Amino acid sequence: MKVEHELRGDRKVFTVSAFNRGVSSWLTRLPTVWVEGEVTEFRRQARWQSVFFTLKDSGDGSCLPVSMPRSGFDALRLELADGMTVQVFGRPELYAARGEFRLRALTIEPLGLGAVLAGIERLKRRLAGEGLFAPARKRPLPLFPRRIALLTGNEAAAKRDFVTAVTARFPASRILVAQTYVQGARAAPALATALADLAGEPDVDVIVLARGGGSFEDLRPFSDERLVRAVAGSPVPVVSAVGHEQDTPLCDLAADARASTPTAAARLVVPDEGELRQRLSAFRSRLDRAPLLLVERKRAALDSLAGRLRALSHQSTLNRGYAIVRTDNVIARNAADLTPGQRVEVELAQGGFGARVEETRP
Amino acid sequence: MSEPAHAPATFEDAQRELERIVIELEGGRASLEDAIALWERGDELYRYCLAKLDSAEGKIEELGRRVDEARP
Repeated sequence: MKVEHELRGDRKVFTVSAFNRGVSSWLTRLPTVWVEGEVTEFRRQARWQSVFFTLKDSGDGSCLPVSMPRSGFDALRLELADGMTVQVFGRPELYAARGEFRLRALTIEPLGLGAVLAGIERLKRRLAGEGLFAPARKRPLPLFPRRIALLTGNEAAAKRDFVTAVTARFPASRILVAQTYVQGARAAPALATALADLAGEPDVDVIVLARGGGSFEDLRPFSDERLVRAVAGSPVPVVSAVGHEQDTPLCDLAADARASTPTAAARLVVPDEGELRQRLSAFRSRLDRAPLLLVERKRAALDSLAGRLRALSHQSTLNRGYAIVRTDNVIARNAADLTPGQRVEVELAQGGFGARVEETRP
Repeated sequence: MSEPAHAPATFEDAQRELERIVIELEGGRASLEDAIALWERGDELYRYCLAKLDSAEGKIEELGRRVDEARP
Protein backbone atom coordinates (compact mmCIF):
# COMPACT_ATOMS: atom_id res chain seq x y z
CA MET A 1 0.00 0.00 0.00
CA LYS A 2 1.28 3.36 -0.95
CA VAL A 3 1.31 5.87 1.89
CA GLU A 4 0.90 9.44 0.79
CA HIS A 5 3.20 12.01 2.23
CA GLU A 6 3.18 15.75 1.85
CA LEU A 7 5.98 18.12 1.10
CA ARG A 8 6.89 20.87 3.54
CA GLY A 9 9.58 22.70 1.66
CA ASP A 10 11.93 19.94 0.56
CA ARG A 11 11.00 17.64 3.52
CA LYS A 12 8.71 14.60 3.20
CA VAL A 13 6.19 14.64 6.05
CA PHE A 14 3.54 12.05 6.96
CA THR A 15 0.37 12.70 8.85
CA VAL A 16 -0.03 10.55 11.97
CA SER A 17 -2.85 8.69 10.33
CA ALA A 18 -0.84 7.98 7.21
CA PHE A 19 2.19 6.88 9.23
CA ASN A 20 0.13 4.51 11.36
CA ARG A 21 -1.59 3.07 8.34
CA GLY A 22 1.77 2.58 6.68
CA VAL A 23 3.31 0.75 9.63
CA SER A 24 0.12 -1.22 10.11
CA SER A 25 0.19 -2.31 6.51
CA TRP A 26 3.86 -3.25 6.73
CA LEU A 27 3.20 -5.35 9.86
CA THR A 28 0.70 -7.50 7.95
CA ARG A 29 3.65 -8.94 6.10
CA LEU A 30 4.92 -10.57 9.30
CA PRO A 31 4.00 -14.26 9.73
CA THR A 32 1.43 -15.65 12.14
CA VAL A 33 3.24 -17.16 15.15
CA TRP A 34 2.78 -18.82 18.57
CA VAL A 35 3.78 -16.70 21.59
CA GLU A 36 3.94 -18.10 25.10
CA GLY A 37 3.54 -16.08 28.27
CA GLU A 38 1.61 -15.46 31.44
CA VAL A 39 -1.83 -13.81 31.28
CA THR A 40 -2.14 -10.57 33.24
CA GLU A 41 -4.70 -7.75 33.24
CA PHE A 42 -7.33 -9.90 31.57
CA ARG A 43 -10.32 -7.69 30.57
CA ARG A 44 -13.59 -8.85 29.08
CA GLN A 45 -16.88 -6.99 28.95
CA ALA A 46 -20.12 -7.97 27.24
CA ARG A 47 -20.35 -4.69 25.34
CA TRP A 48 -16.81 -4.84 24.00
CA GLN A 49 -16.08 -6.27 20.59
CA SER A 50 -12.80 -7.78 21.78
CA VAL A 51 -11.25 -9.16 24.91
CA PHE A 52 -7.89 -7.83 26.04
CA PHE A 53 -5.05 -9.02 28.18
CA THR A 54 -1.31 -8.66 28.49
CA LEU A 55 1.09 -11.53 27.95
CA LYS A 56 4.00 -11.35 30.32
CA ASP A 57 7.36 -13.02 30.02
CA SER A 58 7.94 -14.87 33.29
CA GLY A 59 11.69 -14.45 32.82
CA ASP A 60 12.29 -10.72 32.48
CA GLY A 61 8.75 -9.36 32.72
CA SER A 62 8.54 -8.14 29.11
CA CYS A 63 4.95 -7.39 28.17
CA LEU A 64 2.87 -7.79 25.03
CA PRO A 65 -0.73 -6.53 24.74
CA VAL A 66 -3.09 -9.06 23.16
CA SER A 67 -6.57 -8.65 21.77
CA MET A 68 -9.00 -11.21 20.41
CA PRO A 69 -12.47 -10.74 18.92
CA ARG A 70 -14.97 -11.61 21.60
CA SER A 71 -16.99 -14.06 19.48
CA GLY A 72 -13.86 -16.06 18.70
CA PHE A 73 -12.71 -15.91 22.32
CA ASP A 74 -16.08 -17.02 23.71
CA ALA A 75 -16.16 -19.92 21.28
CA LEU A 76 -12.93 -21.24 22.86
CA ARG A 77 -14.74 -21.66 26.21
CA LEU A 78 -11.56 -20.88 28.10
CA GLU A 79 -11.58 -20.06 31.80
CA LEU A 80 -8.84 -17.56 31.21
CA ALA A 81 -7.52 -15.90 34.38
CA ASP A 82 -4.53 -13.86 35.45
CA GLY A 83 -1.52 -15.96 36.21
CA MET A 84 -2.22 -18.70 33.65
CA THR A 85 0.47 -19.56 31.19
CA VAL A 86 -0.88 -19.71 27.65
CA GLN A 87 0.26 -19.98 24.06
CA VAL A 88 -1.33 -17.44 21.73
CA PHE A 89 -1.44 -17.97 17.98
CA GLY A 90 -1.66 -14.62 16.26
CA ARG A 91 -0.05 -11.89 14.26
CA PRO A 92 1.29 -8.50 15.23
CA GLU A 93 -0.84 -5.53 14.41
CA LEU A 94 -0.94 -1.83 15.00
CA TYR A 95 -4.17 -0.41 16.32
CA ALA A 96 -3.98 2.57 14.04
CA ALA A 97 -6.38 4.85 15.90
CA ARG A 98 -4.08 4.83 18.97
CA GLY A 99 -0.74 3.85 17.48
CA GLU A 100 -0.69 0.84 19.78
CA PHE A 101 1.18 -2.29 18.92
CA ARG A 102 -0.34 -5.61 19.94
CA LEU A 103 -0.77 -9.23 19.10
CA ARG A 104 -4.07 -10.09 17.46
CA ALA A 105 -4.97 -13.55 18.62
CA LEU A 106 -6.56 -16.11 16.36
CA THR A 107 -6.58 -18.77 19.03
CA ILE A 108 -5.36 -19.29 22.60
CA GLU A 109 -4.28 -22.53 24.23
CA PRO A 110 -3.59 -22.86 27.92
CA LEU A 111 -0.27 -24.55 28.52
CA GLY A 112 -0.79 -28.17 29.46
CA LEU A 113 0.07 -29.41 32.93
CA GLY A 114 2.93 -31.40 31.43
CA ALA A 115 4.59 -28.31 30.00
CA VAL A 116 4.17 -26.40 33.28
CA LEU A 117 5.68 -29.27 35.25
CA ALA A 118 8.57 -29.50 32.82
CA GLY A 119 9.17 -25.77 33.30
CA ILE A 120 9.27 -26.16 37.09
CA GLU A 121 11.57 -29.16 36.75
CA ARG A 122 13.97 -27.14 34.58
CA LEU A 123 13.94 -24.32 37.13
CA LYS A 124 14.53 -26.80 39.95
CA ARG A 125 17.60 -28.23 38.22
CA ARG A 126 18.96 -24.78 37.47
CA LEU A 127 18.53 -23.53 41.05
CA ALA A 128 19.88 -26.80 42.48
CA GLY A 129 22.90 -26.28 40.22
CA GLU A 130 23.43 -22.91 41.87
CA GLY A 131 23.39 -24.64 45.25
CA LEU A 132 20.21 -22.90 46.42
CA PHE A 133 18.83 -26.09 47.97
CA ALA A 134 22.09 -27.32 49.52
CA PRO A 135 21.77 -28.71 53.07
CA ALA A 136 24.78 -26.60 54.09
CA ARG A 137 22.69 -23.48 53.48
CA LYS A 138 20.02 -24.51 56.00
CA ARG A 139 20.17 -22.53 59.20
CA PRO A 140 19.04 -23.83 62.59
CA LEU A 141 15.76 -22.39 63.82
CA PRO A 142 15.87 -20.31 67.01
CA LEU A 143 14.88 -22.17 70.17
CA PHE A 144 13.10 -19.21 71.65
CA PRO A 145 12.24 -16.62 68.99
CA ARG A 146 11.63 -13.10 70.23
CA ARG A 147 9.07 -12.56 67.50
CA ILE A 148 7.58 -14.97 64.97
CA ALA A 149 6.44 -13.72 61.56
CA LEU A 150 3.68 -15.45 59.62
CA LEU A 151 3.24 -14.78 55.92
CA THR A 152 0.00 -16.12 54.53
CA GLY A 153 -2.99 -15.44 52.33
CA ASN A 154 -6.29 -14.02 53.38
CA GLU A 155 -7.61 -17.47 54.17
CA ALA A 156 -8.50 -17.53 57.82
CA ALA A 157 -7.73 -21.21 58.41
CA ALA A 158 -3.94 -21.17 58.02
CA LYS A 159 -3.58 -18.14 60.27
CA ARG A 160 -5.97 -19.49 62.91
CA ASP A 161 -4.35 -22.95 62.96
CA PHE A 162 -0.89 -21.46 63.29
CA VAL A 163 -1.74 -18.91 65.98
CA THR A 164 -3.68 -21.52 67.97
CA ALA A 165 -0.83 -24.03 67.85
CA VAL A 166 1.83 -21.43 68.74
CA THR A 167 -0.05 -19.99 71.70
CA ALA A 168 -0.91 -23.49 72.98
CA ARG A 169 2.80 -24.28 73.23
CA PHE A 170 3.95 -20.88 74.38
CA PRO A 171 1.09 -18.60 75.42
CA ALA A 172 3.18 -15.44 75.58
CA SER A 173 4.36 -15.56 71.96
CA ARG A 174 4.75 -12.47 69.83
CA ILE A 175 3.43 -13.07 66.35
CA LEU A 176 3.57 -10.67 63.43
CA VAL A 177 1.18 -11.57 60.61
CA ALA A 178 1.43 -10.37 57.02
CA GLN A 179 -1.29 -11.29 54.57
CA THR A 180 -0.94 -10.94 50.85
CA TYR A 181 -1.86 -12.57 47.55
CA VAL A 182 -1.00 -16.23 47.50
CA GLN A 183 -2.35 -17.11 44.08
CA GLY A 184 -2.44 -15.58 40.66
CA ALA A 185 0.21 -13.66 38.79
CA ARG A 186 0.69 -11.03 41.51
CA ALA A 187 1.30 -13.60 44.25
CA ALA A 188 4.98 -14.37 43.72
CA PRO A 189 6.27 -10.76 43.70
CA ALA A 190 3.87 -9.80 46.51
CA LEU A 191 5.05 -12.72 48.64
CA ALA A 192 8.71 -11.95 47.94
CA THR A 193 8.19 -8.30 48.93
CA ALA A 194 6.29 -9.20 52.11
CA LEU A 195 8.99 -11.72 53.05
CA ALA A 196 11.67 -9.03 52.83
CA ASP A 197 9.47 -6.60 54.80
CA LEU A 198 8.97 -9.13 57.59
CA ALA A 199 12.68 -9.92 57.76
CA GLY A 200 13.31 -6.21 58.24
CA GLU A 201 10.96 -5.88 61.22
CA PRO A 202 12.65 -5.63 64.63
CA ASP A 203 13.09 -8.83 66.69
CA VAL A 204 11.75 -11.15 63.97
CA ASP A 205 13.80 -14.35 64.44
CA VAL A 206 11.91 -16.71 62.15
CA ILE A 207 9.40 -16.44 59.28
CA VAL A 208 6.74 -19.02 58.51
CA LEU A 209 5.37 -19.11 54.98
CA ALA A 210 1.98 -20.80 55.17
CA ARG A 211 -0.58 -21.71 52.55
CA GLY A 212 -3.31 -24.29 52.85
CA GLY A 213 -3.64 -26.98 50.27
CA GLY A 214 -4.86 -26.08 46.84
CA SER A 215 -4.79 -27.17 43.25
CA PHE A 216 -1.50 -27.44 41.46
CA GLU A 217 -2.29 -24.14 39.77
CA ASP A 218 -3.01 -22.50 43.15
CA LEU A 219 0.41 -23.49 44.49
CA ARG A 220 2.35 -22.39 41.42
CA PRO A 221 3.51 -19.04 42.87
CA PHE A 222 5.40 -21.06 45.50
CA SER A 223 7.55 -22.49 42.74
CA ASP A 224 8.13 -19.09 41.15
CA GLU A 225 11.79 -18.22 40.79
CA ARG A 226 11.34 -14.79 42.40
CA LEU A 227 9.83 -16.25 45.56
CA VAL A 228 12.24 -19.20 45.70
CA ARG A 229 15.18 -16.79 45.52
CA ALA A 230 13.64 -14.53 48.15
CA VAL A 231 13.26 -17.51 50.52
CA ALA A 232 16.84 -18.69 49.92
CA GLY A 233 18.20 -15.16 50.35
CA SER A 234 16.19 -14.25 53.46
CA PRO A 235 18.40 -12.97 56.29
CA VAL A 236 15.98 -14.61 58.74
CA PRO A 237 15.40 -18.40 58.71
CA VAL A 238 12.25 -19.40 56.81
CA VAL A 239 9.92 -22.34 57.48
CA SER A 240 7.82 -23.37 54.52
CA ALA A 241 4.39 -24.80 55.29
CA VAL A 242 2.82 -24.78 51.87
CA GLY A 243 0.20 -27.17 50.55
CA HIS A 244 0.04 -30.73 51.73
CA GLU A 245 2.54 -33.52 52.27
CA GLN A 246 2.49 -34.63 48.64
CA ASP A 247 3.12 -31.15 47.17
CA THR A 248 6.68 -30.03 47.02
CA PRO A 249 6.76 -26.49 45.72
CA LEU A 250 10.30 -25.23 45.12
CA CYS A 251 10.10 -22.80 48.04
CA ASP A 252 10.02 -25.88 50.30
CA LEU A 253 13.44 -26.87 49.00
CA ALA A 254 14.90 -23.39 49.48
CA ALA A 255 13.49 -22.93 53.00
CA ASP A 256 15.52 -23.69 56.13
CA ALA A 257 12.87 -26.11 57.36
CA ARG A 258 9.71 -27.61 55.98
CA ALA A 259 6.45 -28.38 57.74
CA SER A 260 3.49 -30.23 56.30
CA THR A 261 0.87 -27.98 57.95
CA PRO A 262 0.73 -24.62 59.74
CA THR A 263 0.24 -26.57 63.00
CA ALA A 264 3.40 -28.58 62.39
CA ALA A 265 5.24 -25.33 61.60
CA ALA A 266 4.21 -23.99 65.02
CA ARG A 267 5.88 -26.95 66.70
CA LEU A 268 9.08 -26.16 64.82
CA VAL A 269 9.27 -22.48 65.67
CA VAL A 270 8.22 -22.26 69.29
CA PRO A 271 9.25 -24.29 72.35
CA ASP A 272 6.77 -25.89 74.72
CA GLU A 273 6.78 -23.55 77.71
CA GLY A 274 6.19 -26.40 80.19
CA GLU A 275 9.18 -28.35 78.87
CA LEU A 276 11.31 -25.24 78.85
CA ARG A 277 10.54 -24.50 82.50
CA GLN A 278 11.16 -28.13 83.46
CA ARG A 279 14.53 -28.13 81.79
CA LEU A 280 15.44 -24.85 83.51
CA SER A 281 14.49 -26.12 86.95
CA ALA A 282 16.47 -29.31 86.33
CA PHE A 283 19.51 -27.12 85.64
CA ARG A 284 18.71 -25.18 88.80
CA SER A 285 18.80 -28.27 91.02
CA ARG A 286 21.92 -29.62 89.35
CA LEU A 287 23.54 -26.22 89.75
CA ASP A 288 22.69 -26.18 93.46
CA ARG A 289 23.89 -29.73 94.08
CA ALA A 290 27.12 -29.23 92.20
CA PRO A 291 28.99 -27.11 94.84
CA LEU A 292 28.16 -29.62 97.60
CA LEU A 293 29.46 -32.45 95.48
CA LEU A 294 32.51 -30.40 94.71
CA VAL A 295 33.17 -29.60 98.39
CA GLU A 296 32.69 -33.23 99.38
CA ARG A 297 35.08 -34.28 96.71
CA LYS A 298 37.65 -31.67 97.86
CA ARG A 299 37.21 -32.74 101.50
CA ALA A 300 37.81 -36.38 100.62
CA ALA A 301 40.95 -35.38 98.71
CA LEU A 302 42.11 -33.32 101.72
CA ASP A 303 41.51 -36.22 104.15
CA SER A 304 43.56 -38.55 102.02
CA LEU A 305 46.37 -35.96 101.83
CA ALA A 306 46.27 -35.52 105.61
CA GLY A 307 46.71 -39.27 106.04
CA ARG A 308 49.70 -39.30 103.76
CA LEU A 309 51.15 -36.26 105.53
CA ARG A 310 50.86 -37.97 108.90
CA ALA A 311 52.62 -41.05 107.59
CA LEU A 312 55.50 -38.87 106.50
CA SER A 313 55.84 -36.87 109.75
CA HIS A 314 58.92 -37.24 112.02
CA GLN A 315 56.71 -38.55 114.85
CA SER A 316 56.65 -41.99 113.26
CA THR A 317 60.47 -41.90 113.13
CA LEU A 318 60.73 -40.93 116.81
CA ASN A 319 58.31 -43.78 117.57
CA ARG A 320 60.90 -46.15 116.20
CA GLY A 321 63.45 -45.02 118.89
CA TYR A 322 65.23 -42.12 117.17
CA ALA A 323 65.77 -38.77 118.94
CA ILE A 324 66.21 -35.23 117.61
CA VAL A 325 68.96 -32.97 119.04
CA ARG A 326 68.57 -29.19 118.60
CA THR A 327 70.77 -26.26 119.53
CA ASP A 328 68.98 -22.89 119.47
CA ASN A 329 66.12 -24.62 117.60
CA VAL A 330 68.50 -25.78 114.85
CA ILE A 331 68.72 -29.54 114.33
CA ALA A 332 72.22 -30.80 115.03
CA ARG A 333 73.51 -32.93 112.18
CA ASN A 334 77.29 -32.66 112.60
CA ALA A 335 79.22 -33.25 115.88
CA ALA A 336 81.79 -30.66 114.71
CA ASP A 337 79.12 -27.94 115.15
CA LEU A 338 78.90 -28.78 118.89
CA THR A 339 81.29 -27.74 121.64
CA PRO A 340 81.66 -29.46 125.05
CA GLY A 341 79.54 -27.75 127.71
CA GLN A 342 77.03 -26.50 125.14
CA ARG A 343 73.33 -26.76 126.04
CA VAL A 344 71.18 -28.95 123.70
CA GLU A 345 67.51 -29.91 123.61
CA VAL A 346 66.63 -33.55 122.94
CA GLU A 347 63.20 -34.58 121.61
CA LEU A 348 61.96 -38.14 122.11
CA ALA A 349 58.85 -39.96 120.91
CA GLN A 350 57.28 -38.99 124.24
CA GLY A 351 58.52 -35.65 125.71
CA GLY A 352 62.15 -34.44 125.81
CA PHE A 353 64.92 -33.12 128.03
CA GLY A 354 67.69 -30.55 128.17
CA ALA A 355 71.38 -31.71 128.35
CA ARG A 356 74.99 -30.48 128.10
CA VAL A 357 77.61 -31.82 125.66
CA GLU A 358 80.39 -33.76 127.49
CA GLU A 359 82.65 -34.37 124.54
CA THR A 360 82.46 -34.55 120.76
CA ARG A 361 83.77 -37.11 118.28
CA PRO A 362 84.27 -36.52 114.63
CA MET B 1 17.98 -9.28 90.51
CA SER B 2 20.92 -7.81 88.67
CA GLU B 3 21.44 -8.27 84.93
CA PRO B 4 24.26 -10.73 84.19
CA ALA B 5 27.66 -9.06 84.02
CA HIS B 6 28.07 -10.27 80.46
CA ALA B 7 24.48 -10.19 79.28
CA PRO B 8 23.81 -13.20 77.05
CA ALA B 9 22.72 -12.24 73.53
CA THR B 10 19.66 -14.47 73.63
CA PHE B 11 17.71 -16.81 75.84
CA GLU B 12 19.28 -19.72 73.99
CA ASP B 13 22.79 -18.45 74.63
CA ALA B 14 21.97 -18.14 78.31
CA GLN B 15 20.50 -21.62 78.48
CA ARG B 16 23.45 -23.13 76.63
CA GLU B 17 25.95 -21.38 78.92
CA LEU B 18 24.01 -22.52 81.99
CA GLU B 19 24.14 -26.11 80.76
CA ARG B 20 27.89 -25.83 80.16
CA ILE B 21 28.43 -24.47 83.67
CA VAL B 22 26.38 -27.23 85.31
CA ILE B 23 28.35 -29.87 83.42
CA GLU B 24 31.67 -28.24 84.31
CA LEU B 25 30.77 -27.99 88.00
CA GLU B 26 29.59 -31.59 88.03
CA GLY B 27 32.88 -32.60 86.45
CA GLY B 28 34.55 -31.53 89.71
CA ARG B 29 37.79 -30.34 88.13
CA ALA B 30 37.27 -26.66 88.86
CA SER B 31 39.21 -25.03 91.67
CA LEU B 32 37.14 -23.88 94.63
CA GLU B 33 37.57 -20.23 93.61
CA ASP B 34 36.55 -20.98 90.04
CA ALA B 35 33.66 -23.10 91.28
CA ILE B 36 32.28 -20.20 93.26
CA ALA B 37 32.53 -17.87 90.29
CA LEU B 38 30.94 -20.50 88.03
CA TRP B 39 28.09 -21.07 90.44
CA GLU B 40 27.41 -17.35 90.68
CA ARG B 41 27.36 -17.04 86.91
CA GLY B 42 25.07 -20.07 86.66
CA ASP B 43 22.75 -18.55 89.22
CA GLU B 44 22.64 -15.30 87.24
CA LEU B 45 21.92 -17.15 84.00
CA TYR B 46 19.14 -19.16 85.58
CA ARG B 47 17.50 -16.02 86.93
CA TYR B 48 17.93 -14.32 83.56
CA CYS B 49 16.21 -17.21 81.72
CA LEU B 50 13.39 -17.37 84.23
CA ALA B 51 12.87 -13.61 84.04
CA LYS B 52 12.72 -13.84 80.26
CA LEU B 53 10.03 -16.51 80.48
CA ASP B 54 8.09 -14.68 83.14
CA SER B 55 8.23 -11.32 81.42
CA ALA B 56 7.27 -12.61 77.94
CA GLU B 57 4.09 -10.96 76.76
CA GLY B 58 1.93 -12.43 74.04
CA LYS B 59 1.02 -10.14 71.20
CA ILE B 60 -0.42 -10.71 67.76
CA GLU B 61 0.17 -7.90 65.32
CA GLU B 62 -0.60 -7.37 61.67
CA LEU B 63 1.90 -6.02 59.20
CA GLY B 64 -0.93 -4.14 57.50
CA ARG B 65 0.63 -1.08 56.06
CA ARG B 66 3.40 -2.66 54.05
CA VAL B 67 1.14 -5.29 52.59
CA ASP B 68 -1.32 -2.65 51.47
CA GLU B 69 1.50 -0.84 49.74
CA ALA B 70 2.38 -4.04 47.92
CA ARG B 71 -1.13 -4.11 46.54
CA PRO B 72 -1.49 -2.33 43.22
